Amino acid sequence: MKRTHISRRDFVVLTGTAVAVAPGLAGAETLTAEAVLRRIRTELGSEWPSTGPDGLKAGDPSTVVKGIATTAMATLDVLKQAVRENTNLVLTYEPTFYSRADGRAPAAPAPGRGPAGLSTDDPVAKAKRDYIEKNRLVIFRLRDHWQSRKENDMVTGLAAALGWSAHRVKSTDTVYELPKATAEATVALIRSKLNLRAGLRAVGDRKATIRRVLLFPGSMTPTIMWQRYTEVDMIVAGEVREWENTHYAADMFAAGEKRALVTTGRVASEEPGMRLCAEWLKSVVKEVPAKWIGVGDPYWRPTA
Amino acid sequence: MTAREVVELIKKNQGIPWNDRSTRDTFKVGNPDAAVKGIATTMMTSFDMLKRANAAGLNMVITHEDTYWNDRDDTNELTDNPLYKLKTDFVLKNDMVVWRDHDHMHAMTPDYTVVGELRSAGIKGGEHTTMRPGILTIPETTLGELAAQVKRSSGARAIRCVGDPKAKVSKVLVGPGYATPRIGPEVDVVIGGEQQEADGGFDNVEYVLDAVSLGMPKGIIMLGHVISEQAGMEDFGNWLRTFIHDVPIQFVPAEEPYW
Repeated sequence: MKRTHISRRDFVVLTGTAVAVAPGLAGAETLTAEAVLRRIRTELGSEWPSTGPDGLKAGDPSTVVKGIATTAMATLDVLKQAVRENTNLVLTYEPTFYSRADGRAPAAPAPGRGPAGLSTDDPVAKAKRDYIEKNRLVIFRLRDHWQSRKENDMVTGLAAALGWSAHRVKSTDTVYELPKATAEATVALIRSKLNLRAGLRAVGDRKATIRRVLLFPGSMTPTIMWQRYTEVDMIVAGEVREWENTHYAADMFAAGEKRALVTTGRVASEEPGMRLCAEWLKSVVKEVPAKWIGVGDPYWRPTA
Repeated sequence: MTAREVVELIKKNQGIPWNDRSTRDTFKVGNPDAAVKGIATTMMTSFDMLKRANAAGLNMVITHEDTYWNDRDDTNELTDNPLYKLKTDFVLKNDMVVWRDHDHMHAMTPDYTVVGELRSAGIKGGEHTTMRPGILTIPETTLGELAAQVKRSSGARAIRCVGDPKAKVSKVLVGPGYATPRIGPEVDVVIGGEQQEADGGFDNVEYVLDAVSLGMPKGIIMLGHVISEQAGMEDFGNWLRTFIHDVPIQFVPAEEPYW
């Protein structure tokens, strides 16, 4: 069925207004990316402001969706896998084009961090755009709105991946009370369950007895660290700044506190939550399959 | 000689106009008018480092990084924090004083943090570098071999690398601490301390993963923040000795925090 082409700008305007479309209105043959995204928006129910990182990053929203891929970060390898899995709408938690601006005109460069922005002829970005176009992929960033669900899937997903779901203390908080184990053993378990390499780093007392663990996928600020570290035996976060939170955990260790801070890597901590997103989509978009595609731990360490 | 007098001498010798609005380069804790028995230079005022400086009889600490676990050393949220009290009491009880030199060190020529980082990485020719040395050409090697050399030479336990270890590389861009430079078409490898992994000003990790997927030789070597700027604080201490002769000056390293 032929559809009127909807420009990217019109699409943004369209999804920025409160147009509700009943689920299941569109048939499988005509299920466009635009329709899927509108349905996701309606289901998530939260306000959908035009500011913020979420939104269409590449592709034509009138594309008919064959299948949906979810991922923590839409790397080129993830996109290639999405194509192999016969999916063409990719929902990504992190950017696609190497910055929060996601390929848009950059803000002023931060001092000491080198030139900002991405040149229009950058060969890596260009090859990625070409791949997206050639394979008629549609890329949508789904972060704030996925995170706004009261179920807090980024945390419950990470807990499930670690095998800790049954140990949650309160549904309103992200503390888990586990059978006692040493910090070293807990770190080994995290490494093995999340299949991590050099991305995992641990600070603090490796012999500490770990029972209460705070899960914090993504990036953790110093304030949260200061407020919550002594409530638990271990914090497991995605990433922190070394000269802030890591330094705090190291000082706690120097002060004799028997605790540990573990960082898994930001994307690694977000993978299980996006896996849950694919599960959720199966109940919201029944017409096409939804699959999660993993990024894997990007880091390695030389052995020498 | 008081700590304040030491700082005045540094301001006079650093060779750049002093920016009094810097929130970083200020006294952090202790009495600036205390008599200085000895100076410890360090990358970060960790509690462990403070104890070692005190044991060595050095009561003035000149640190490149923060003392109170946030970049601005803002202590408003920390007044009731037991670790804040413990660390502060330790400094006051032992008549110590902490002053930070960060922004001005990076504005100085040479930027000793980068001089030290290049030496730590085993890359020659960085003795007079500024904060941004530009692209350095090293004899062609593989990313895996370069990473192994950097690990041996710097001693970084928790070094993290991204990219194909077999990729042939020779064009290197180095930056200190959190100022890990961005990679691009003209650069094969960036070497830095740490960096936000994604959703930042420029996401090196995703760029390198995509370059690898395209068969382009690109890589990242991240030393950790402490290790990347640590060696330069020894050079900074040596520089202090050229104009401060009355008190002992010693480099007291901050510990690499990771297992």
